Amino acid sequence: MITLIIYLLIGAGLFVFLLALALRKGAPVEGCGQEFVEARQALQTLRSGLLPADLIEGIFGRGDLEYVTAETVPEIHRMFLTERKRISLIWASRVRLEIRNLMHFHLGYSRFQGKMSLNTEVRLAIDFLVLVLACRALQLVLFARGPYGAPAIVGVAAGAAARVCSISEKSLAFLNPLGGATLPNDTGSGGATIQL
Amino acid sequence: MLSLLLWRAGLLLEFLILVRAVRSRMATKFPYFYGYIFCVFVVSLGLYISNEVRPDFYETWYWPTQFATLVAGCGVVLDVVEHAFGFYAGAERVARVACLAIFGATIFYVGLKAATQAELTPLAVTVGLERDLRVTEALLLVTVLSIVFYYGIALGRNLVGLIVGFGTYVGASLITLAVRAFAGPRFNESWGILQSSAYLLSLMVWTIALWSYSPQPVPVDRARLDGDYEALASATREILNSLRSYFKRTARS
Repeated sequence: MITLIIYLLIGAGLFVFLLALALRKGAPVEGCGQEFVEARQALQTLRSGLLPADLIEGIFGRGDLEYVTAETVPEIHRMFLTERKRISLIWASRVRLEIRNLMHFHLGYSRFQGKMSLNTEVRLAIDFLVLVLACRALQLVLFARGPYGAPAIVGVAAGAAARVCSISEKSLAFLNPLGGATLPNDTGSGGATIQL
Repeated sequence: MLSLLLWRAGLLLEFLILVRAVRSRMATKFPYFYGYIFCVFVVSLGLYISNEVRPDFYETWYWPTQFATLVAGCGVVLDVVEHAFGFYAGAERVARVACLAIFGATIFYVGLKAATQAELTPLAVTVGLERDLRVTEALLLVTVLSIVFYYGIALGRNLVGLIVGFGTYVGASLITLAVRAFAGPRFNESWGILQSSAYLLSLMVWTIALWSYSPQPVPVDRARLDGDYEALASATREILNSLRSYFKRTARS
C-alpha cells in the first residue's frame, strides 16, 4: 500500500509539473542584461526605498504611537494601529520581493557559468530559501503582534541597511567596467558615447 | 474493440510523426525522440500483425518488446536535457549531475531489489522493471523541470510539446502500473485501455507540437560575463549573510 501511494504521488507530482509547464508564460530570455538592471533596481529600492533608518523609524518607531495615544480619542488610536500594521506588512512584503529580485539576478548569471561550484550553488539555493521564508515569518510576526511587537527593529534596521547596501554595491561592482569606453567622435559634436 | 481502435489510431499518428520528421528535417534535431518513435512504430506494427495472424506469438513477444521501447524512451530525456540547457552551461551542469544521481540511485535500488527477492518470474521482473524505469523517467523529468523553473529557462514549442507528451505517457503508465500491481488481474482490461489512451493523447500532443521546427529561444546579452562565478557567488553569499543577520536580530527584538 505504501509503495502504491509513493508511485501515485510521484505520478501526480509529475502531472503538476507538466501543468505548470503548459500554463507557463514565456520565461525571460534577455539573459544577464535584464537581471543586471533588475538587481540594480532591487538594491536601489532596498537602499533608498525600504531600509533607510528614518523610514524604518517612521514606520516602526513609537513616537507617532505615543502622540496618537496621548492626543487623540481611542477610535483614532485604533485606526492608526490598523493603518500602521498595513504599512509594516507592505514593507516586509516589498523587502521579500527585492530579495527575490536579487535571487533572480544571481540565477540569471550562474545559469551560464559552466565553472560554477555545485556545492556553492546548492548552499546559495538553501540560503535564498531560508531568507525568503524568514521574510514570510517576519510578515507573520508583524501580522500577529503588530508593528510595535519588535521595538528594537529601528536600530537594527539602520545598521543592516548600511551594511547590505555597501556589500551589494560591491557585488555588482565587479560587473561594471572601470570606465566608460567612448567611440571615436567622428560625427561632430553630437557623437554618441556608449558605455561598454 | 476499443483497444483495437486505439491501437490503429496510434499507428497512424506514429507514422504521421515520422513522415513529418523527415519532411521538416526535425529527425536530426531530436534524434533520440524520433528513434524512440520509430522503435515503437516498428514494434507496434509487428505486434499488430502478429496479433492478427498468430496471437500466441503476440503473447510471447509483448513484454520483451515493451521493455525495448521502454529503454529507448529513456533517450528522450537526453534530447530534453540537450535542448533545454544548450545555451546554459551552468544549469546544464546541475541537470547532468542530478540526472546521473537519479540513474545511480535507480540502478542501486533495482540491484538491491533483485538481490533480496527470493523468487522471480520473467513476467514479474519485466513488470517490476517497467515500473521502476517509469519512476526513473518521471523523476528525471521532474528534476529537469525543477531546474528549468528554478533558473527561469525559456523553452521552445517543440520542447514543451515533447516534455508534456512524454510526461503524460510516463505519468499515466506509472499510475496505472502501480494500481495494476495493487489491484491484480481484474484491473488488466482497464489498464490496457488507460495506457493506450494516454499514449494516444501523447501522440496527439507530439503531432501538433512537432509539426514544424521551432528553435529554442536564444538568450541575448550574455557575453559580458565569461567567468568569475566565484566572485559572483561569494558576493551573493555576503548579501545573504547580511540580510540573514538582519532578520535574525529583527526576530529576536
